[in-house]
Amino acid sequence: MIIGIGFSDPFLVGLIGLGILFVLVVLGVRVVIAASLVGLVGLVELLGWGPAAGIVGTIPHSKSSAYALSVLPMFIFIGFLAFHAGMTRDLFEAARKWIGWVPGGLAVATVFATAGFAAVSGASTATAAVFSRVAIPEMLRYGYDRRLAAGVVAAGGTLASLIPPSAILVIYAIIVEESVGRLLLAGFLPGLVSALIYAAIIIIWSRFYTDIGPPVSGFSWRERFETLPGLIPILAVVTIIISAITYGWATPTEAGALGAAVVFSIALLKGTNFKTIRGALMESAKLTVMIFSLIWGVLIFVRFLGFSGLPEAFTLWITQLDADPMVIMICILIAYAILGMFMDAIGMLLLTLPVVYPAVIALGFDSVWFGIIVVKMAEVCLITPPIGLNCFVVNGVRPDIPLTDVFRGITLFFVADVITIAVLLAFPEIVTWLPNLVRG
Amino acid sequence: METQPSQHASPGGPLDKADRLLSPVEDIFNFIAALAIFVLMLLGVLQIVLRTVFNAPIVGYIDMVELSMATMAFLGAAYCQRVGAHIRMEILIGNLRGRALWIAETFGIVLSLFIVGVLVWYSWGHFLRAYELGDSTIDAEYPVWPSKLLVPIAFGLWFLRLLIQFVGYLRLSLNPAVTPEGVVLIKRVEEVARDEIHEALGDETEGQSNDPDRRAQP
Repeated sequence: MIIGIGFSDPFLVGLIGLGILFVLVVLGVRVVIAASLVGLVGLVELLGWGPAAGIVGTIPHSKSSAYALSVLPMFIFIGFLAFHAGMTRDLFEAARKWIGWVPGGLAVATVFATAGFAAVSGASTATAAVFSRVAIPEMLRYGYDRRLAAGVVAAGGTLASLIPPSAILVIYAIIVEESVGRLLLAGFLPGLVSALIYAAIIIIWSRFYTDIGPPVSGFSWRERFETLPGLIPILAVVTIIISAITYGWATPTEAGALGAAVVFSIALLKGTNFKTIRGALMESAKLTVMIFSLIWGVLIFVRFLGFSGLPEAFTLWITQLDADPMVIMICILIAYAILGMFMDAIGMLLLTLPVVYPAVIALGFDSVWFGIIVVKMAEVCLITPPIGLNCFVVNGVRPDIPLTDVFRGITLFFVADVITIAVLLAFPEIVTWLPNLVRG
Repeated sequence: METQPSQHASPGGPLDKADRLLSPVEDIFNFIAALAIFVLMLLGVLQIVLRTVFNAPIVGYIDMVELSMATMAFLGAAYCQRVGAHIRMEILIGNLRGRALWIAETFGIVLSLFIVGVLVWYSWGHFLRAYELGDSTIDAEYPVWPSKLLVPIAFGLWFLRLLIQFVGYLRLSLNPAVTPEGVVLIKRVEEVARDEIHEALGDETEGQSNDPDRRAQP
């Protein structure tokens, strides 16, 4: 008891806690600190110092040592090795030779190459940086509009989060206590659909304005088949993970370990030295501890929320609203879009899900489906102003393409993303079909 | 998302000394976490091979993984704090300058010191109970206490790093004119982008004006 309403009105304590957390996060306090601190203070108010601090002291270890979480460092390590396995140029070459002949062919090739690389590297911004070097010069050489060239590279990176291996989907699964495997499987088709919608919109656009993206053809079948070995690393990783979960021959962690070992071996074969590997490992460790800190920090806050009864109250309120669930869902998504402009995707999900998720489930939405939608939403924000980090990355690698042109080039893909989300809202089966197939 | 100027600042200050004392320890802790990730990879592959090829899975594999998670989850916490990698929202604090910025940073560090301090103390209690009761994992009956002991150790180091940053930010709050020491500085989005590029492309980014592609473009 601090202010003395803990016993009489836990709901009010929950509300105040949520308010303080919001203020602290906006003030720039690190999310792990803000969440665990408010969680501790709130629990003290509700339960008293002894029990509260006792609970808080056990949460980091007990929540972090869950087997399901061990897949995260594996996916993260794959990501940091991906670049050293040298698959970027190979991927682009293959995509160019196979699909360069369609209108806007090089841009379409870039979509698939970035989708492939982003999936494995899991890093949106790094993908944008790499393909600014690999794909933009090629497109400009063939007279592509520079806004299209910059836009496709910045947008392509956002496909990272859906196609397995995806760390953010694992985090969602952990927080809402859903199966990690189901989430990973569920992301595959929507990721593919996103890429196809990107491709479709480029093709349509280039048909109308033939000068922005001329087709590139004249490759023999022999030349095409010669590019296929370059696809092995990414195909191996994605196939290992999807097939392990589908057929159950390995847990996600073991599949992640095997995927990492494959990429690691390829990186060694490509002549990566010890220092680089050590660097990749150090970076992986850093990102791992960052994500684990967020998880236990937020889980301390979640424990407090649970005692306050706030999530139940919010759920009750939202289910009694006299509105169509789909309208409420769209409102929630718009709120995420606004929040995502200012916040990192993982932080945003972790902070909002404890309250939003139970309400969404009570409205009758599927938990796996909501995970995919919300992660897609968070990724879209990587290309929207005012932050739009991917756009800054493209501009940083190609200072000759002004930032305004990059943001203008993005518009087309922002429209594509809105279409993708609408499609996923209208046809939730795209998300749920694959995971349900495996369970059934 | 942030830099650490402390390594490049003028040497000699007591803060710099403390920073140089603590940094190698943090590096080693993070490196142990990194090694654990590598071992987890090898263990996973070994487990698949032993189970599918020889039908003889590693006994207590899941227990082993769960106990080792603490290494990866906590040991790098102080390192992460030093390089400013624990995420936060910079939309407001990134626009502050001078004394206002340093006071906001000091405020954040004071909160961090409090909660991390509580966590050190009570995670120690959590370890002590496991040690005294002789807790072990259900499957392979490995003792649990070494894993639990990592939490107060790692968080203790994190606490020390926070102390250095606290003094560093407080010093700047009192006199914004001095050279920053032992603190992390916020970067603008352009700088973050530049770092991301450097991280992804490495040394390739240097001398990019000589890039033939670049000259060839219209």
